[in-house]
This record gives sequence, structure tokens and C-alpha cells, in this order.
Amino acid sequence: MEKRHNIRIRLMILLLLSIIVISDSLPALAHKVTIFAWVEGDTIFSVSKFSGGRRAKNAQVLVYDREGKQLLEGRTDDKGEFSFRIPKVTDLKIVLNAAMGHRAEWTIPESEIVQAVGLLEKKGGGGSSQPVGVGLSKAEMRELIEDSLKKELRPIKMVLTELQSKGPSLTEVIGGIGYILGLMGVAIYFKYRRKNRE
Amino acid sequence: MHISEGVLSAPVLITGTALAVAGISLGLKRMDYDRIPQVAVLSSAFFVASLIHVPVGPSSVHLILNGINGLLLGWVCFPSMLVALALQAILFQFGGITVLGVNTVTMALPGVICYYLFGRLVNQESRFLSSASGFACGFLSVLLSGILVAISLAFTGKSFLSVAKLIILAHVPVMIAEGVITLFCVAFLKRVKPEMLGGVYGKAS
Repeated sequence: MEKRHNIRIRLMILLLLSIIVISDSLPALAHKVTIFAWVEGDTIFSVSKFSGGRRAKNAQVLVYDREGKQLLEGRTDDKGEFSFRIPKVTDLKIVLNAAMGHRAEWTIPESEIVQAVGLLEKKGGGGSSQPVGVGLSKAEMRELIEDSLKKELRPIKMVLTELQSKGPSLTEVIGGIGYILGLMGVAIYFKYRRKNRE
Repeated sequence: MHISEGVLSAPVLITGTALAVAGISLGLKRMDYDRIPQVAVLSSAFFVASLIHVPVGPSSVHLILNGINGLLLGWVCFPSMLVALALQAILFQFGGITVLGVNTVTMALPGVICYYLFGRLVNQESRFLSSASGFACGFLSVLLSGILVAISLAFTGKSFLSVAKLIILAHVPVMIAEGVITLFCVAFLKRVKPEMLGGVYGKAS
């Protein structure tokens, strides 16, 4: 009987381990949504996805200001992207409402927006149009640099969105199981004390 | 099927927490000393199951395993799932701490219902009857969970029918998968350790 019991325990451990291994090798499509947003010129871009990479298509996006007033509303496209012009200079809270009670939010601080709007205004106003070196005005120069920076930074921002939506790692899974076993120990301890007292 | 933080309104959260507390205290009372390791193993299985995904539709759904949990543990599946859901919330950011009560109820209550519906049936001599009820147990537990999630979302202004339809349609593959898994678990346990299928108070009282 004792031996049979041992085999059972071993079987269960094996089962658990195999589940872990299988789940690790599968694409980690975790049950969670994330939204990531950034400012680019006068526009705010956002990417929404279920962690692991699946894009949240046709999901509702709501934009709120600092006081919680809704500024605008939209839906993500087939790539889970949604973009809009900066509606107001304030902290913007972007909330994603995907189906079945999934929700995520992302905040863009006012400082970032002020900076973006400030740059635009300077560009619009022309500022000093003194030629710098090769016959370009300062404003034109700034525009050129901004454009190339945007192009360079886009992939990096995309990588950031990827990192944001990483699924749980093996360490977390094993850690969780460890916690459960630890709790089991605690529960046994208390039940054992009560049993002894009786 | 975890509901995220900030979706539900306060009354729903409070009701969910109250129901969960009731279920957990009932479960803890029935948790036998020598059953604790079994509870822990099933809790771990539930904890990991959420990482196994069945990719369908616009969303992603995962295994739940609340049917087999409820079938084997009865009311004790409340504490078992609470622990697993709390760890999922902390480590994976699935669900959240304030919605823990609601999520526990939506997952564990169907398990308890299945326990009462099928607890005796899976123990039947007839092989067909026990396999069929094993499948039905896995299938129904997910279906009921979907309905409970839809009910809790309905109180926050979403229309119940459309949400329920969406959730249930998305989970049809999971229901079938869970049915098959539960069927095999039942068949295996029946051969190896039939007394486990008696449920918690098959032995206790």
C-alpha cells in the first residue's frame, strides 16, 4: 500500500512537471491585455495586445484627462493599433476595454505632451530662421533631426511594447507552485496542532 | 476568464468577496488533515492550467480545470482556487487583488455545483455512465463559469446576453478540452484510486 502511494505521488509530480514543460513550449498567450502608448509629433499612438503577442482587435479604447473626464473614444484596428491627435495638454489616461472583462491602462504624463506640443509650436512659429552652416534654418534642422529620430526610435518602441506584454516566465510558475507547497505546510502544521490538542 | 482590475463596480466586488468568504470558510471546515496535500496538488494544477492556451477568436482562452477540482474537492475547492488565483494575480497579473473574491466565486461555485451533480455519478459501476458524467462535469463547469462572469459583467452596464454569448462561444473549445481531460482523470482515478472520487465527505463524516 505504501509503495502504491509513492507511485501515485510520483505520477502526480510527473504530471505537473509535464504540464509546466508543455506550457512553456507553447506560445505564451497569457490571459491578460496590455496597452502601450507613446507620443509622436502631434499624434499619440497605441498598441494593444494580449500578452504573448496576439493583438487585441476591434477593442474599445477610451481616453481620459487628469480629472477623469472622457475626451475621446475609439476602436483598435486589425493590428491592435489606435492613434489620435493630442486632444488636450494634460495627463492622458488611455484605457483599453477588451472583451470579457479584460482591461488595461496606460498613462502619458503631461510633461511628455507639453514637450511634444512645445516642439510643434516652435516649429510652426519658425523661431529664428538664421541659417546654420549649410543654408538650413534652425527650425528646418530640428525638423530633419526629429524625423530621422522618429524613424530610428519606432522599432525600439515596438520592442518596448513586446517586452511589456511578456507572458509569465518559468521562474514565476515554479515560484507559484513553491508558494502553494509552502501554504500546504502551514495548513498541515495548524491542523496537526489542533489534532494533537484534541 | 479572469476579470481584470477596475472593470466591476463596488457592489459586485463586495458581493463576490462575501460569497467567496462564505465558500472558503465552508471549505476550510471540511478540509481534512490528510486531504491537505491533495488540495495543494489540485491547487497547483489549477494554477498552471491557466498557462495552457487554446487559441480562438479575437481573445485568448486557457484551460481552467475547475470541474475536476470541484469534483474531487467539493467545497474545499474554494480555498484551493483562492490560493491559486491569488498567486496568478500576484505573479502573472491575471485578474487582480480586488476582484479576487468575484473570480474565486466564478471559478469555484461551478466546481461545487458539479460536485453535487456528478460526485455520485462518476462513482457508478457502469463505465459509460462514469465517463459520460466526467465529460459533462468538465464541460458544464466551464459553461457555468462563463455564465457567472457574464452575470457579474452585466451588473456593470454591459448587456448580459451579448457578453454571455461572446464568452460561451469563445470557450466552446475549452469546454470540450476540459470535458476530455476530466473524463480521462476520472477513468484514471477510478482504476488507481477509486476512493478519491468519493468527494471530501465520502470519508470524513
